[in-house]
This record gives sequence, structure tokens and C-alpha cells, in this order.
Amino acid sequence: MKLLRPVLLNVITWALVLLISFPLIWMIVTSIKPQTELFRIPPTWLPETVTFEHYWRLLSETSFLLYFRNSVVLATTTTLFVVALGTLGAYSLVRFTYRGRETLAMLVLFTYLLPSVVLIIPLYLMMVSLGLSNTLFSLILAHTTFALPYALWLLRSFMEGIPEDLENAALVDGASRMGAFRDVIFPQLLPGIISTALFTFILSWNEYLYALVLVNSEAVAPLTTGVMSMLISAFNIEWSLLMAASVMMSIPLIVVFAFLQSYLTSGFGAGGVKG
Amino acid sequence: MTAIATNIPKSATPPLERAYARLGVLLIAPTILVFSLVIVYPLLAAIYLSVFSIYTPTLQGGFVGADNYIELLTGKAFWNSLKVTLIWTVGTLTLQIVAGVGLALLLHQNIWFRSLARSLVLFPYFLSTVVAVLVWKWLFNDLYGALNQGLMQLGIIDMPLDWLGSMPNAMIGVILVGAWKFFPFVVIAVLARLQTIPENLYEAARIDGAGPIARFFDVTLPQLRSVLTVIILLRAIWDFKEFDLLYLLTGGGPVTSTQTLSLLVYQEAFGLNQMGQAAAYSVGMMLVMLVFMVLYIRQTKEKNA
Amino acid sequence: MANVTFRNVHKAFGTYVALENLDLDIRDGEFVALLGPSGCGKSTTLRMLAGLDFPTRGEILIGDRVVNDLAPGKRDIAMVFQSYALYPHMTVGENIGYPLKKRGIKGRAREEAVQKAAALLQLEPLLDRKPKQLSGGQQQRVALGRALVREPQVFLLDEPLSNLDAKLRSYMRAELIELHRRLGKTMVYVTHDQLEAMTMASRIAVMHAGLVQQFDTPDAIYNRPANRFVAGFIGTPPMNQIEGAVDGGDFVVAGHRIPIDRTAFVDSLRDGPAVLGVRPEAITIATGEGLPATVRLAENTGHETIVTLELPDHSRIAARVEAARRLDVGHNVALRFDPAAIHLFEATENGARLNRDETPASVIPMRSK
Repeated sequence: MKLLRPVLLNVITWALVLLISFPLIWMIVTSIKPQTELFRIPPTWLPETVTFEHYWRLLSETSFLLYFRNSVVLATTTTLFVVALGTLGAYSLVRFTYRGRETLAMLVLFTYLLPSVVLIIPLYLMMVSLGLSNTLFSLILAHTTFALPYALWLLRSFMEGIPEDLENAALVDGASRMGAFRDVIFPQLLPGIISTALFTFILSWNEYLYALVLVNSEAVAPLTTGVMSMLISAFNIEWSLLMAASVMMSIPLIVVFAFLQSYLTSGFGAGGVKG
Repeated sequence: MTAIATNIPKSATPPLERAYARLGVLLIAPTILVFSLVIVYPLLAAIYLSVFSIYTPTLQGGFVGADNYIELLTGKAFWNSLKVTLIWTVGTLTLQIVAGVGLALLLHQNIWFRSLARSLVLFPYFLSTVVAVLVWKWLFNDLYGALNQGLMQLGIIDMPLDWLGSMPNAMIGVILVGAWKFFPFVVIAVLARLQTIPENLYEAARIDGAGPIARFFDVTLPQLRSVLTVIILLRAIWDFKEFDLLYLLTGGGPVTSTQTLSLLVYQEAFGLNQMGQAAAYSVGMMLVMLVFMVLYIRQTKEKNA
Repeated sequence: MANVTFRNVHKAFGTYVALENLDLDIRDGEFVALLGPSGCGKSTTLRMLAGLDFPTRGEILIGDRVVNDLAPGKRDIAMVFQSYALYPHMTVGENIGYPLKKRGIKGRAREEAVQKAAALLQLEPLLDRKPKQLSGGQQQRVALGRALVREPQVFLLDEPLSNLDAKLRSYMRAELIELHRRLGKTMVYVTHDQLEAMTMASRIAVMHAGLVQQFDTPDAIYNRPANRFVAGFIGTPPMNQIEGAVDGGDFVVAGHRIPIDRTAFVDSLRDGPAVLGVRPEAITIATGEGLPATVRLAENTGHETIVTLELPDHSRIAARVEAARRLDVGHNVALRFDPAAIHLFEATENGARLNRDETPASVIPMRSK
């Protein structure tokens, strides 16, 4: 009885974990099945033949690489822009006193919760009138609307975790405010910055609505709308190809999960969900 | 003495403090600028647009006063979407909380390869909604989908089900996918909190003769209360405004049976090309959300105080 | 010259007044302790001197320079923080060298100065470690090293010993006294621990509710407390305060008369309500003649016994007797007060002391532990 309980617990937990991961496992399995095996009834739960032809076709015959490049540029630029602004802004919100600071902090939180569809119509009009529609730049600006409040809020929490006396000590030791920021606060904030950058990157990488509305040319489409267009345009839906695209699209995520997972979990703690 | 007293006005801010305040404003200035440009201005513009009738392709139109809001209040579209939104939110949120707390409790135990199990569970949350939708559409495929085939092999159903094309299956489908995609958020937050519950609380309960179930209700749950409040509010807000998942999975269909408010706004603006009406819907939607937002912001303030 | 002067300094946070009309003159080379309970304004005082907080009005001078508008780094001060505030990502050597780096001192000159400070504090073997790898006592010494490496005019210390265990604390007290003697620099030391203030400071500013209650030598603070707050704050246990009334040549408490010498008090002393103050060691417990009391508690600490006594009006006071003395709880005794050690205070909440100050300080030697 004493031995049975942990075994039972393990079996139940792992059964649930596998059930939850099944869609992902199925995604990989489908992506390496030959087209002919795909439409068999009942389905082969494990592939009888393993093939990488879909991946090859994805890279050589579709615009996938173009979408990928667009997404990399979009997510990277958004992240750099937002984290740079957010780091300075969070420093200001946490460590300085001036009129309107509290109101500003509340405004940040408010925008963090704002639905995108409220902003999408005016943003669309703005981009059209500025002649920016169908550019990656318009998407970077649009992604700022959710990424900046998010990054600010996260970085604010991280900044609050740095003891104030560290900065005070640097000031007494002869540093200016910005000197103290560079020498003491920034090194301490770095894990928080990395965590925020990862979250921002993932948010931007995964964003769909703005790309749908603001961009309708293939040349600047990011992965989300690009891959979806492959689903819609194909007369006969090529599920293997789409699953291969899904796997490839998740690669940055898999990399983050494999090597930088601790940053993700620490970001969660800071993101306003610590009870 | 009097000279000194008159030279120092009572409430003058010292120059150093003023310099610091200036630096603080300078540091936040770029953020404020970007905020005004991409958030505050569009937000006000949305409210402004909502009293106009604008045809999207030409962007031409005129002032219509409260007409759009009268349509919102008297027409069926907004109220139908609000109902759909509430069903979707309550349904998916409930599943997320139940699954999230349950899995967090299991993953808190000392199981084999715990960190691998945790990673696998968290993964869907970080996955692009596009990927999630593609995978699930394939799973839901009526003829070759693994879901129908699996259920038939297990003998639970004997005919393939139409998952996304008919009601109530479509609503069940999106709620299910929503729960699958977003419950890891609950897992992470609850796990983090579980790790901070002092072990001696459980010891004390055990000494008092509490079994595992009593320990959950008397020790664990009260300790999770505050974090659950925050999670529920936050997820309620996010689920309420969710667009990608529903749009990509069903497009609001069949007909409008899964058309939430976000989808209604999009459809009105870019499907029916009525931008002014869409803006009015979005303002209405925001007003409904304001209730949750105020609750969440108050909760956050309380925590900080 | 590095005397420190607060001239009519006032500090308010919103509507909360943290400091009122603070006037302090700290002489060059002096070791001054700011002593008081938490929230008394002592830390605010220190932070304003450091330039980390800003006075609402008034002037702060270091030497003859008004420093109100100077950034902390330009005030020629160094500070040791309660949390030590060591830079976690820098080694011990980099921590100590940081103030020099910020002043543009480079290369060998910096290295030598760091070495010298490290040698003074026996930190040489630790120079390449990170703060996290050090014990609390070692971290404390690094913080000191970072403060003294630059040889500033004024040292500010904010409860530097409060995070150490009792043994290390008493060792560091001795170290700090020795350091002050050797450097001869002005030191301002904030603490809530009267033992630290009494043993280390040349003068103590006792603070309470945003006001300096008394600024004097430890001896004067102990033997001539300016008011009821100081009397009740200094000493363990503190001075007993017995409410009663002055009536001619006597102090009357619950109908019993304690003879007092009126010439020892200010001329303005009138008959009427007053508070009699007497230190526990100035009370003799006897039988027969004296103020009747009942023994309620006797705590033997090994080298002395603290006796809690109940007076006829049910108020309680403490007396200090030798450890060997046996006193049974419930026993009725008679108390006699050393007439030279009797203080009188106004009967107000924080009443001023009414003793004539030109009278020689009471003969009771200052207690040391």
C-alpha cells in the first residue's frame, strides 16, 4: 500500500501529461508521415514510414522562409524597442518621484488589459493615412500597443525587487543617477530584462490580429498570417505540410524551453500573479 | 536671521530633488510619447469614430450622432455576441481553473521526471495560437481527425462528429481548445504559490488528524485564495477579449453562434465594412470589460498597499 | 574641518511631519549617535545628511559648505547601510574600489588604496570573492572598507551592526571605536540600541517624534535626562517614574511622604502634581521606615537581581539589587531612595526635568555592562 500510492500518482499524472501533450505529439507525427499514410482509416498512431519531404517542400516550394524572416525581424525589433523603452520607463516609475507617477502606473496597468480590437480600427486608419500599411514598421508600432504595457509592468515588478539601498550606496560612492543605473541597477535587473525580452518576443512572434488587418501583402506577412494563408489558399488541405510549418514555427519556443525556461517562470511571478 | 528666513520659501522644492524629478520625467517621456501615439490617441479616436458612419473601403461617411449606439442597444448583434462571449468565458475559464489547479497539485508532488512533465504541460501556453488552431483543426477533422477516430476506436461514439461546423459542438470545441491553450497559466501561478505554503501548516493539520482531503480544503485552498482571485480576474479579462483562437477555429460560426464581441467588432469593421458601427461595438465591449478591469486594478492596488 | 550642522531643518512627507526644527552642531572628529525608537526621525536625518532625502526647509552644512543642493557623491561623505548594500555582481575588491573608480582614481593608486583598506579590516584573502560567499560579519567589514577607502570627511553609519549576532556585535563595537580613534574623522551613527550609543558615542542625540529630546554626552544623558522620554528610554530597566505631588519638603505618593531637598531643584518648582524619577540602582529595599511596597517578581540574571515592586497606588517600579539577595514574592518591604539621585519632572506627558543643572551630577557611577 505504501509503495502503491506513489506509483499510482505517477501513472495518473503522466497519463494526464501525455494527454495534454498529445496534440503536439500528433503534430510532429503527422509532419513526418508520407501523404499516403495520412488519410488511412483507422489512422496509424505511429508512422510506418518516416519522411522529411514535407519539411523540404516547406522550405523550397513555399514562402515559409520569407515569413520566418519577417517574423524574426518583427519580433526582434519589437522586443528591442519595447524592452529599451520599458527599462528606462520602469526605472522612472519605481525610483523617481514626480507628479502624476501613480496615475501613469495605473494607466499602464489599464492598457495592459485593453482589448486589441478597440485599437485596431483607429490604428488601421492611422497606418493608412501615414502610408504605412503593408509595412513591417506598421506591425512593429501596432505590437507596441500590447508589448509595451506588458514589458513595463513586468520590468516594474523586477525593478521593485532591487533593494533601494544599492542605488543609494552608489550615489553616496559618487555615481550620478544614470551612473548608478548603469553600474548597479542594470546588472541586477538583467535577469528580469532577459525574462521580459523572452515574453515580449513570444507575444510578438505569436500575434495574429494586427498582422491580419494591417498587412495583406505576402512580402511582409509574418508567420502567423502567412502560414494560415497556406491553409486557406490550398484547394486540398495539405495537413502534413501545415504540421511541418507548425513545428518549424515553434522552433524558437522549443529553444527557449530547452535552455531558458527559468526566465519564463520568473517572469510569471513578476507579471502580477503572485498571490 | 530674517534674511535667511525670507530667502528660503516654505515649500520650495530643493534643486537636487527637482533635478531628479526632471530626470525621472525625461526617462518616462519616450514611453509616454509612444503610449499617446499608439494607445491613447487610438482609444480616443475609437470613441470619436463611434458617432460616425464610415464605409471601410473608401473611408467616407458622415456624422450620425447616437445612431450606432441605438443600433447597439436595440439590435440583436451586440447582445447575442455578449451572450456568446459570456458562455465562452465562463466555460473555458472554469475548465482552465479546474484543470490548472488539479495539475498544479499533481505536479507539486514528487513525481518522476518532474521538470520534463512541467515543461510539457506549460508548452501549449507559449505556443502560437495559429499553431494550436492548425493542430486542433487537424485533430477535429471529421473524417480523418485523430479525435473522431480515437473516440470511435474506444467505442465512445460510432459515427464521426462534426466538431466545428454545428452547435453545440462548435462551442464545446472552442471552449476545449481555449482551456487546453490557456490552463498552463493557472498551473504556473498556482505551482509558484504552492511552493510558498509552509510545510508546518500541513504537519499541524496532520497532528490535528486531518486526512488528505481535509488538508486540501483546510490548508491548501485558503492559501490559494488570493492567487486564485488574481488568476480568475486576469484570465477572465483575457478570455473575454480573445480574438485569434475563436476567429481562426470557427470564424464565429456556424453563422454567429461562436461570434464573441471581439469577432463582432472585426466582422463589422472589415467584413461588413461598417467602421463607425464597429467602433461603437468596441466601445460597448470596453465598457463591459471595465467592470473586470476595475476589480483587477483594485486587487493589485490592495496587494501593493 | 568637517563639523556637521543642521540649521532649523524641517522634513515633511505629505502631511506627515518627520522632523521639526532640527538644530544640531556636530564637531569635527566627533562620534555622534542618533538614538531613538523607530519612526523617530533619526534615519531621515542621516539620509538628508547623505543627500538621499531632501529637507522641506532649513540648511545642512558640512564644514562651512551648505550641502542642500549637492548630490550625495559631492558631499565628501561615506555611508554604511544597515543592509550593507554591497554590489552583488562585484567582487569584494571591486566593491571597495568603486568609490575610487567613480572619482577617476585608476590603476595602481586604486589598487593600493583598496589593499590598504582591506589590510585595515583583514579582508585581503577575500578580495576576489563575491559578497554572497561571505558571512554576515565579513560583509559588514566590506561595507566598512568601501566607506573608508576614500578617506571622506564624514562617515555616516545607519544601524550597521543590527544584522549581526550578539557576539559579533560586541566585537564590532570595539572595532568601530578603535577605527574612529585611528581615523579621527567625524562619524554620525544611527541606532535604536542604547548600548551601542552609550558605549561608542562621544555625544548622543536622543530623538523622539521628530524632535531632538536631548543632545549631550552619554554620562549626562544617563544622569541628567532632559525629560520623561529620555528618562524612560535610557537604562535597562529605565528610570522609574512615580506620579505624585510636591508638598513642601516632600514628594507625596499615595499618601506617603518621601523627603526631597528643594534646593536641588529649580526655583520655579511649585507644590502640586509632579513625577519623581529614580533609577533602579538608587533604590534600597529594607524594612521599617520608607515607601511601602510589595515584591511582585524577582529576576536573577546571575550578577544582579531585578525586583519588580508594587506601590500602594498599584503602579509598579523596578529596583536593582545584588544577585545574592533573596526576596520572596508577596513580601512587604519598605523602599528608600538615594536623596542625591532623585529627579523631578513636570507632570505632563513628556515633562521636563526640574532639577537644578548646576548641581554636580549625581554621584551614581554610570553603569557599564
